Amino acid sequence: MNVLIKNIYNPFKTQCQIVRNLHVSPIYLKTQAGRYRITPKKDFPLTYEMANPPHMIASRKAWNSWNTSNVQGGLRSSETAVEDHFIRKFMIGTWHGLFVSEIIIKRQHNIIRIAGLISRTASSRKMYFLIGYTEELLSIWLQCPVKLELQTVADKKDVIFKYI
Amino acid sequence: MNISSIILRRHNHIKNTKLVGRLFYTAVEEKIEIPKRIPRGPTDILRALESTLQRDPTAAHYKYHDDPYLMPKSNTSKRTYAMAEESGRKAAHWVRSENPELFNHKECDPAIDLFFPKQVYDENSEVTEKDLKDVIGKNQVSDAIVINKILTTKGIEVSPETKQSLLELLCYNNSEDTLDEEYIEERWFKQSSRLRERQRKTWKDGNIAEEIFISIDNPTADAYSAIIQGMAKYFQVDRANQLYEEALQKGFVLNADAYNSLIRVANFFKEGYDLRWAYINNILLSMNQAEVKPNLRTLNALLWALSTMGNSKNIKDLTLKTLRQFKDLGIEPCLGSWYYVLITFCKERGPKSNILGNILTQIEGKEFSIQDLADTNFFVTAMDVAKNHLNNIVLGKRVHNLLLKGNNYNLIGDSYKESVYYRHYFGLVLMNTSIDEFMEQFYYKMVPNIYVPEPAVMEDVLKQVEALGATEYLPKLWSDIVIFDQNLREKLINIVLNIMVDNPAKESSELAERFFNIAWDIYTTISEQNLEKINRLSFTGDMLGSIMTVILRYGDFEKACTIMNDLSKSHTTILGVPKFDALSLFVDHCIKNKSPTRAIVCIQYAADSGFPEAVSLGAKLNQHLTLDEIHLNKLSNIIDLKLQ
Repeated sequence: MNVLIKNIYNPFKTQCQIVRNLHVSPIYLKTQAGRYRITPKKDFPLTYEMANPPHMIASRKAWNSWNTSNVQGGLRSSETAVEDHFIRKFMIGTWHGLFVSEIIIKRQHNIIRIAGLISRTASSRKMYFLIGYTEELLSIWLQCPVKLELQTVADKKDVIFKYI
Repeated sequence: MNISSIILRRHNHIKNTKLVGRLFYTAVEEKIEIPKRIPRGPTDILRALESTLQRDPTAAHYKYHDDPYLMPKSNTSKRTYAMAEESGRKAAHWVRSENPELFNHKECDPAIDLFFPKQVYDENSEVTEKDLKDVIGKNQVSDAIVINKILTTKGIEVSPETKQSLLELLCYNNSEDTLDEEYIEERWFKQSSRLRERQRKTWKDGNIAEEIFISIDNPTADAYSAIIQGMAKYFQVDRANQLYEEALQKGFVLNADAYNSLIRVANFFKEGYDLRWAYINNILLSMNQAEVKPNLRTLNALLWALSTMGNSKNIKDLTLKTLRQFKDLGIEPCLGSWYYVLITFCKERGPKSNILGNILTQIEGKEFSIQDLADTNFFVTAMDVAKNHLNNIVLGKRVHNLLLKGNNYNLIGDSYKESVYYRHYFGLVLMNTSIDEFMEQFYYKMVPNIYVPEPAVMEDVLKQVEALGATEYLPKLWSDIVIFDQNLREKLINIVLNIMVDNPAKESSELAERFFNIAWDIYTTISEQNLEKINRLSFTGDMLGSIMTVILRYGDFEKACTIMNDLSKSHTTILGVPKFDALSLFVDHCIKNKSPTRAIVCIQYAADSGFPEAVSLGAKLNQHLTLDEIHLNKLSNIIDLKLQ
């Protein structure tokens, strides 16, 4: 492909040679992203979200980021992706060791809602402090209203779907 | 209209038929009136939707997270959670103010000032008059002072209008920063009203407001008005009056609010009621001469002054007259005015007055927005009057309906006023309805999400349960007491135990089991207290006796024995003794369980405690069980067993 383009845009060379490269070996269509490998002892815990591979999105599980920036005419698609990554990093760091699920980021109009499951290892008072801190700092950073929608689980094991 | 005419033409042949003709004619005559367009704001739809929502009593307030672990259940947790969240917010603001250079990116469009770091002003900042205007508009007092200082040192002239608004800002705030408007929770829980009611001089003499006032070469009437209002607001009354006289001498026309503020502090100038009223009349006369139109705040200031003038009938007449005159002027009283009327008419030691009913007929079904700070006092005072002054539940319910109307709930004030309001309302309903109605319609609905009863209110509820023997509510009440952290209050424990002892549950009923659980719960919570706790609740003999009685009635002999052991072991440390009935019941159960050793311990305890009836216990034991030699010896050591 590269060669082809080069040749097209190089009028001197086009006349002498046109090369087309072909793959002759079969393609190894192994997809690895978003999948977990089985461990020898079969003791690796998976949540429901982790247990379903990416092609199950929209049938057995849903998206982790909800926004309209990638539909036709959507705005700020790259900014949204970077911000979502920032939010995830921020949440994991601020709520250290508390999140037991993926962090779900939902955007509607100018509001960002961040949802997830947290374990009850911190006292509820501390959690309220973190809620206030996170909401305020993220709204200052992203300059729009940010809200947390958290649910607590009594035991980390409650969210484990299976072991592999 | 068009369609009907087409149909008419097509069906011409049946037009003659009377019925059809009439039918279509009516359709033709119908006129469609297009209503006039109502201009709507951008948030009107949201407001309309919001007005269809009511407070859901089964859920916590929406400021709390909707999760069982994060939902507050007692008054303390409500307060801590909300304040913790707010302190988190403050921490975020602190992070921003420490690193302002990191927060200068611009995502929002249009730019929203609140998202950007606050401008910090110091001696070297480049400032203009526009900056000063900006910070005055944003109510930033200390920044305004700094900018003003920079401007004066640099010799930049400020326009008289800006200087006047700076003076007004400083006078209004006593040259101090106020709590940021964003921190609503801190405002809600601060109980500022109680501080405000204490009237003492808080005006800082020689503060910047005064400096600015002096620096104005020829102070205008507006400048005088501002400084008089400021001084009167913070009770520097003498100087306020002095400046007022000065302004009068110069022939200035002050604004209405300056006059109002002087009326408000009239009680500082004149001790006697007649003198005070004469002074106020003087102010009103000079208002009249200066042709200043009084406003709502004038009315409120007058009513407030009248409410401080004792209890005579004359004052009440004057109050009504004032209301009438202002009504003639076209000034409708606000809730704050009604609050002053209420405190004038319904004094603690005065005659009863039904004015609350009259007020309610005037304002029922209306929606209010805040017009005076005193507006927030109305509901709590009205409920207080309904309960303590009149004890009239119908009025209480009318007040409550008014509170729930529209956005009137915004006028409840702060958390302190809210809880006082509900304390009165609960007490009123409790005294005037059956316990069933109270529990069904009020208690289950409002507790704990809208209101958590304070220990005193809980005590009243328990007393009512005790008086009516409505023991079926006791388990629910006890579990609430535990949740609300009131389970170490001696008064409440004693009432609960008394109810259980005086109203024995049917044997082997569900209630008996619940009673047993409550009694055992009381025992374990008291005995498992932290040893280092300062105000530890310790057992009294009566308490242990009652617990033992309830447990024995349920039939758990072993647990009763542990309590008996406690009693006999710490005989010297436990205050008071149990009732004799409890001990007698224990001996009965010992006989039933054929356990003479334990019975003897109990008899020993009874004898040590000085019960003369201990002898009869011994006799009973001896009669029902055949005792061996050792037991008999022990028994005869304790009491004089001549009965054999």
